[in-house]
Amino acid sequence: MLKNLKTIPLDLYNSLLNSYSMVFFSRSHVFAGIMILVSFFDPVAGLSGIVAVLSANLAAYFIGLNRLNILSGMYAFNALLVGLGTGVYFQWSAELFILLVFSSLLTVFLSVFFEGMIGKYNLPFLTLPFLISFWLVMLAARRYTGLDISERGIFTYNEVYDWGGQPLLTAYNWFNELRLPMGLSTYFKSLSAIFFQYHLLPGILIAIGLMFYSRIAFILSLLGFYSAYLYYQFIGANFDELNYSFIGFNFILTAIAVGGYFIIPSKYSFLWIIFLTPVISILISSSTEFLITFQLSTYSLPFNIIVLLFLYLLRFRQGRKNKLDLVVFQEYSPEKNLYSQHNSRTRFRDFFYLPFGLPFLGEWQVTQGHRGEFTHKEDWQHAWDFEVADEKGKTYSGDGNSLSDFYSYNKPVLACADGWIEEIASQVEDNQPGDINIRENWGNTIIIKHLDGLYSKVSHLKKESICVEKGAWVKKGDKLALCGNSGRSPKPHIHFQIQSTPYIGSTTLDYPLGRYIKHESGRYSFQSWEKPQKGDILSNIEKVGSISRAFHFIPGQHLIFKVAEEGKADTFQEWVVETDIYNYTYLNCQETGSKAYFRSEQDLHYFTAFSGDRSSLLYSFYLTAYKVALGFYPNLQIKDEFPLHIMNPGPWKILQDFVAPFYLFIRSEYSLDYISMNDELDRSGITLRTKVEQLTMSSVKMISEGELFIGDGQIDSFSVNRKGRKITARQVKNRDEKIEEGKS
Amino acid sequence: MSKKSYERPLIRKLETGMPGKFGLRNDLTPATHIDNIPVAELVENFGSPLFVISEQTIVQTFNKAKRAFTTRYPRVQFAWSYKTNYMDAVCRIFHREGSWAEVVSGFEYEKALRNGVDGKKIIFNGPEKSREDLTKAIRNDSLIHIDHLDELYELVELSGELGIKPRVAIRVNMDTGIYPQWDRFGFNLENGQAWDAINKIVHSGKMELTGLHCHIGTFILSAGAYGIAASKLALLAIDIRNKFNINLKYLDLGGGFASRNTLKGSYLPGPDINPGFEDYAEAISSSLHNSGFSTEELPLLILETGRALIDEAGYMISTVIGNKRLASGSRSTIIDAGVNLLFTSFWYDHKVMPAQPFSLYREETLICGPLCMNIDIIRNSVSLPMLKKGDRLVIFNTGAYNMTQWMQFITMRPAIVLISSEGTVNLIRRKEDNDTLANQEVVPAYLSK
Repeated sequence: MLKNLKTIPLDLYNSLLNSYSMVFFSRSHVFAGIMILVSFFDPVAGLSGIVAVLSANLAAYFIGLNRLNILSGMYAFNALLVGLGTGVYFQWSAELFILLVFSSLLTVFLSVFFEGMIGKYNLPFLTLPFLISFWLVMLAARRYTGLDISERGIFTYNEVYDWGGQPLLTAYNWFNELRLPMGLSTYFKSLSAIFFQYHLLPGILIAIGLMFYSRIAFILSLLGFYSAYLYYQFIGANFDELNYSFIGFNFILTAIAVGGYFIIPSKYSFLWIIFLTPVISILISSSTEFLITFQLSTYSLPFNIIVLLFLYLLRFRQGRKNKLDLVVFQEYSPEKNLYSQHNSRTRFRDFFYLPFGLPFLGEWQVTQGHRGEFTHKEDWQHAWDFEVADEKGKTYSGDGNSLSDFYSYNKPVLACADGWIEEIASQVEDNQPGDINIRENWGNTIIIKHLDGLYSKVSHLKKESICVEKGAWVKKGDKLALCGNSGRSPKPHIHFQIQSTPYIGSTTLDYPLGRYIKHESGRYSFQSWEKPQKGDILSNIEKVGSISRAFHFIPGQHLIFKVAEEGKADTFQEWVVETDIYNYTYLNCQETGSKAYFRSEQDLHYFTAFSGDRSSLLYSFYLTAYKVALGFYPNLQIKDEFPLHIMNPGPWKILQDFVAPFYLFIRSEYSLDYISMNDELDRSGITLRTKVEQLTMSSVKMISEGELFIGDGQIDSFSVNRKGRKITARQVKNRDEKIEEGKS
Repeated sequence: MSKKSYERPLIRKLETGMPGKFGLRNDLTPATHIDNIPVAELVENFGSPLFVISEQTIVQTFNKAKRAFTTRYPRVQFAWSYKTNYMDAVCRIFHREGSWAEVVSGFEYEKALRNGVDGKKIIFNGPEKSREDLTKAIRNDSLIHIDHLDELYELVELSGELGIKPRVAIRVNMDTGIYPQWDRFGFNLENGQAWDAINKIVHSGKMELTGLHCHIGTFILSAGAYGIAASKLALLAIDIRNKFNINLKYLDLGGGFASRNTLKGSYLPGPDINPGFEDYAEAISSSLHNSGFSTEELPLLILETGRALIDEAGYMISTVIGNKRLASGSRSTIIDAGVNLLFTSFWYDHKVMPAQPFSLYREETLICGPLCMNIDIIRNSVSLPMLKKGDRLVIFNTGAYNMTQWMQFITMRPAIVLISSEGTVNLIRRKEDNDTLANQEVVPAYLSK
């Protein structure tokens, strides 16, 4: 409890700032600071905002709502808007204070209500709580005679003079007389209107803050605003709506929300901003007409309606999903969302797919792929045929007149993933070469159920060779049967397909394979989540015990490294393998608190994220062992990319941000080479070399170079050359050596 | 067009044997070329007799064997059996293709080292390993396959002296249902000697028991025997794990696979009845898969097959010296290659084919070598066309054992050439001459006057 109390001031501070930046979907504290400053352009409003946020957060805390949500500002940013809005209308008084506290409480109630109501449709509640709450407060306040209507804004010069004397007044005048183009000044004023201000300076400050927070959001704000601006000129609508009320920001907020925050920024999302503008305008005009009955303003209602409708609509898509990609894991910045998504599109597809292996041992050739020329057509187009071929590409020896001439014949067929045997057919005669059996066209077949709605099928098996039983549980790599020539099969081969229904004859599912090795004239290449093509020669990744044990990190395990660096005394670094409540595993550096999240799959180790100290040994390890296949193939190279925002690519990054939705010209590439294996019997003593390079247009910059040495089941040592420092870390059992050093 | 070659006429009674698919005639193709190199050219350049090795055939056969096993079993390692053919060039081809080395003497061990084989990839078999050989093998961390208890004791002693824990396996002999049962090498499984040796190794604490080895025999015509051997060896490995908690890293099934040669006394020709790699692979890998190892812990399967990998790649080119009629009236042809060079003609009816075009008329012929010895017979009876002095004969499937078991006896040993995959002809062993012998001899001073 005491520990909890200690964190309260920090929590309050964080949640306060986050509540401000959340208005623009951000978590930037600098941006929040600018917004707080802007809010104090009307001191009463500024103070009201702070009171509202604190009230809302404390209320949420004492009610017992989710701490992380409170910290993120999720429950208070609506209250903040209500507070700001209320503050603008009234003079400061004890009554106002009370009204603020309780309107905040109401806003928290509404926030939770909307969170529950529309959250279940996976939709954000945006500023709906603010709208309802603020309308209610405005209606109620008409009856609260204790509140004094604000006179600020009427005798502006007096007030400005009161606050800052002649210098402020001069500055104020200078700004007011600043002849900015109409469009630009309206843009700035619309930005400031989000904080119930109506001046240039706050708008300019917010624009700067916005640019600091996100270049993409800034461009989106311009795009949203100016498409509205042009549309109003074209349609001849009441331009005052933009100019003299608080609703121009609807276009700006919608642009940021739809263009880059809830959807990965892309040329498509940008295009949609332009298409949505007229719709927003319709909503603004109509809702204004409607609300005028109650003498209420429409505020951000159009923004809420359009964003919710649009996000809801997108979830019903059946195709073209990659045109507008919804953000799955929110990182509170369009840039980060974009770069992460770009990275995870290639790296983390396995989060959704089951990694299927190949149903055979050794190297086989794809003799018919997806959309094949013989039988893989129409509803059955997503299947593969595999045959063994020799170095000349022939699939048989001798004259090929008997089944035993074919290399594939009689070869074991394996389970491609864990599952239950769903269906078996085993009594179909094998055809002589060249003959086919169209009546029992699938021949002898095994169907394995891997998940609900995910089955795999191997066909044309040898008669009576099936060595599993219906209902049995099989593990990936278990022998199921022998390759034969039954069914519609003129020569022995394995037909392999993934399907969503459990029947022999089910249509195929377009599904990638997990990870495998492709063989090209003695060279190996690592493939993941690919669909092999006709002619490819493939094999499963043959796991090597020493590497797979070295990267088998067991939660609770301590890894201690003795770190040597030239010109420095040796130090010790200790990492603990930990697992969080979501079952994410990570290495936790005891010295720096840095965390490197990783996943270990059957045949692959890879890091998914890093947080903490970039100068730590753990970060070097993260760079070095970013992705390691747990097999050994001489000269195999594995490539991967780092998300752009992780690598801090320097000044070019700003330019990259601006054009990122359209073109990425900076990439951070990782490569790993399998160099040598000392002991082929133990398959240990393995050297791996890694490299991280940053590619900007055509220039290549070395970020780090490293080597990993794997002994018998553990990482013996690794060395990293980064930023001119060469560090060598050797794994030790304990820190005894340190004690000895201390003694001497 | 070259002139049609002359064949002297022959009169014999008509014998209607079993008609073939195309009637009585049985057309054979003369072996004018080996890997597209004219036999005549080879003889012209390197003399006769001449051993020829085809790299292309070696690689093809090796890939065939590898494919048969790797499509059935995840971890397979071949170890080139040096005694089968230890020409450095041949060994290096196998090592390049990924084979380790299997040696049975200090001499072969040295040869393997000189061929650039990592000490860790040398398997040291055989009943005779000197103290020096063992010391060297221990220092190089080679895999030592213990043959008998005295060797075991010597290893215990040596590992103590050297302070190195050698990696060892025992050779196990067993009943696999074939006759004769080989029990001369290693420790017998059924009578408990194998366990005795295993216990002694483990309890000595001086050695690391890494694997098990067996070699059930030679030219085994039943693939099933390997299935039995593999099962028994796997069972022994699992028992060792249960008893000592030692996970053996490999099972070495030895060699003994039949090549395409026809054994003497065989009714049908070898290519028709001998098991192939696919048969052996099926028997061995099925046994191992069914033996109780989980898919993840399957041990490395080592194979030391020699003959089946090299026999087909070897040819002997020989020249006719003369013809004669024997007392029985049957024909005999004398060629310039004898049993001192073609040791395997004691075992097989080698396929023999003239290297120049011939007519369809043949006669049962006895082929003798040039030695002045009654036993020098290459083929007792083979149907050949009429040959004349100076004609060439190609003797097939001579790659295994001949180039290691040949003798310098009466004549000198001939040259060996290798036809590379690219089609170039390379001399890999020079023809011996009188100096070769003279260099080794010492004439005592009192006789040299």
